[in-house]
Amino acid sequence: MALNGAFRERLRNSWVEMRENFTRSTLQSLGVILGVASVLGGFSISDSMRQRSMELYVKMGGLDKLNVRQSAVVKEGAPTALQTANLGLRVADADEGEGIDASPVDGVSIRKDARARVRSPYADQERDIRGIGRDFLALDGYQVDQGRDFTVHDIDSGAPVAILGTEAVAVFFPNGDALGRTLRVGDTPVQVVGILKERVFRFRDGQNNMFRWRNRIIALPTTLVARRFEGDRYHRVDRVTFRIRKLDAMAQFTKGLSSMLKANHRQQEDFRLDDIGARIRKERSQGNVYDLIFLLSGFLSLIGGGIVNVNIQMATLKERIREVGVKMAIGAPGREIFKEFMTEALLLTAAGSVAGLVIGVGFSKIITASIGVPLHIDPKSFVSAYGLAAVFGFVFALFPAWKASRLSPMEALRYE
Amino acid sequence: MPPIIKTHALTKVFGSNGAAVHALRGIDLTVERGEFVALIGPSGSGKSTLMAILGCLDLPTGGTYALDGERVEGLSGRELAQIRNDKIGFVFQQYNLLPKASVVRNVELPMLYAGVPRKERRTRALELLEKVGIPDKAKVLPAALSGGQRQRVAIARSLANRPALLLADEPTGALDQHTGHEVLELFADLHRQGNTIIIVTHDLSIAAMAQRQVEIMDGLIKVEQAA
Repeated sequence: MALNGAFRERLRNSWVEMRENFTRSTLQSLGVILGVASVLGGFSISDSMRQRSMELYVKMGGLDKLNVRQSAVVKEGAPTALQTANLGLRVADADEGEGIDASPVDGVSIRKDARARVRSPYADQERDIRGIGRDFLALDGYQVDQGRDFTVHDIDSGAPVAILGTEAVAVFFPNGDALGRTLRVGDTPVQVVGILKERVFRFRDGQNNMFRWRNRIIALPTTLVARRFEGDRYHRVDRVTFRIRKLDAMAQFTKGLSSMLKANHRQQEDFRLDDIGARIRKERSQGNVYDLIFLLSGFLSLIGGGIVNVNIQMATLKERIREVGVKMAIGAPGREIFKEFMTEALLLTAAGSVAGLVIGVGFSKIITASIGVPLHIDPKSFVSAYGLAAVFGFVFALFPAWKASRLSPMEALRYE
Repeated sequence: MPPIIKTHALTKVFGSNGAAVHALRGIDLTVERGEFVALIGPSGSGKSTLMAILGCLDLPTGGTYALDGERVEGLSGRELAQIRNDKIGFVFQQYNLLPKASVVRNVELPMLYAGVPRKERRTRALELLEKVGIPDKAKVLPAALSGGQRQRVAIARSLANRPALLLADEPTGALDQHTGHEVLELFADLHRQGNTIIIVTHDLSIAAMAQRQVEIMDGLIKVEQAA
């Protein structure tokens, strides 16, 4: 350090000053304490929520997916020949889509829904039936618990097989021995070949299971649903999903897919592309608004606290004028006085930041615990909170320190 | 060797125009190395102003002042601070010790500003405390000392950077007669060891201990007499 250990000496003196005037020092650092606490507290709460959302998305089967859905085309007057010839979203679209550029495509899933009466020896209910194909289970975050997934053969041939979610098992086979049993879906007897693992996700402790409806699934091969329930030999589907692992490949793939689909659909734009990752990113940027609010509240408490701090500094400067005069008389240049005041202010800021950290983290711990979300703090939040405190601590210390350094030694010595 | 102090036609005016106060009106004063001088005069005579200028706490309005051969007029605040640190040791009536720093740290302070290394500072400060007769009080706070002891600390501090000039402003003003006498004895000792001392006082019996008395009246030197 400059002036061989002068900094150390200043630091020590500042510490003594702080310790001797504990109440005053506490008041002085109040702004910093509150500022850091509110920024850090606010950020860590929104960090925690965001982290939880991320976990949710991962459990939903990931963000890196592109959904293609059928969308209604408004038809005015008599349909044109092209419109009549359009078959809509089909399995062929999924296959060809993958064929555009197979390298970025990590998985394809197809879905075809229907509604049917479902009967077992124990229950008889009208139910949603989910026709699934390709990598549906993996892409939607399902795992097979007992039995097996559909084979390629099952899907190609429209085999009469079914996979059930835990809730469906509980309803139709309350004894739990569903595997291998027969379920009548509409008029079609299907054999249960797989049971899915129960899916649970509670955003906050004690909240309802957000995935409860996912356990109600009764899945059949898409081909079976298309043929038996819709009488559809073109194998139309409701949804095709592509998983694209590489984020930067998504835009290119979307473009290719879009033009391919348009060509397949006789120039009709009767489909909708939905990039889930982009949607989530958009939602998250809305979450950033909250961060901005917390930042602003921290900002305001720092300004308020800073002004209080300047006031106190100016008031105590009066008490300390003689001391400054003595130091100047024995040879302290104004610069040294300035540094002494700055050191004290910065030490106060540092101590205030630590207190603010404890309070902020404590608060967010209480809040996140009370709403039942695990606490998660992004290191960037620390950087923001401390950066803000450091800047304000510095700026608001400047004026009193400058004022003290400009005192005339003679007048300071005579000051009563 | 140049004299420690040489002033010529030194003036100091406070305020301006109509409200101007002429505190010093032309002081010619020379103090040689090793002298013990008493500045006397009633309050309002200008002796405090002269002391402030001699101590480089303030600059004269007119005239010249050379301290240890170095002209002082027109120096910047920083340069003056360095001169004060390097060449002048102050002893005040009210001691002016830092209340929150221990005795030894008070004595070290001028050396800290001069950039003396830590160990050397400590060694010299302890030596000085021994010299002024309170070697056992190094670690205590000034508040725990008697007035006489505090003034000894102040004297030790003033000697820290081996100044060319010791300036004492009513150093016994706040002390009882007995303690005051002891402190004056200390100054006499320091004088015998070769220090140049200027003592400001309004007490003639104190002034009598000095080699030479300079009486200030209305901003001028009225009488100058050597003992």
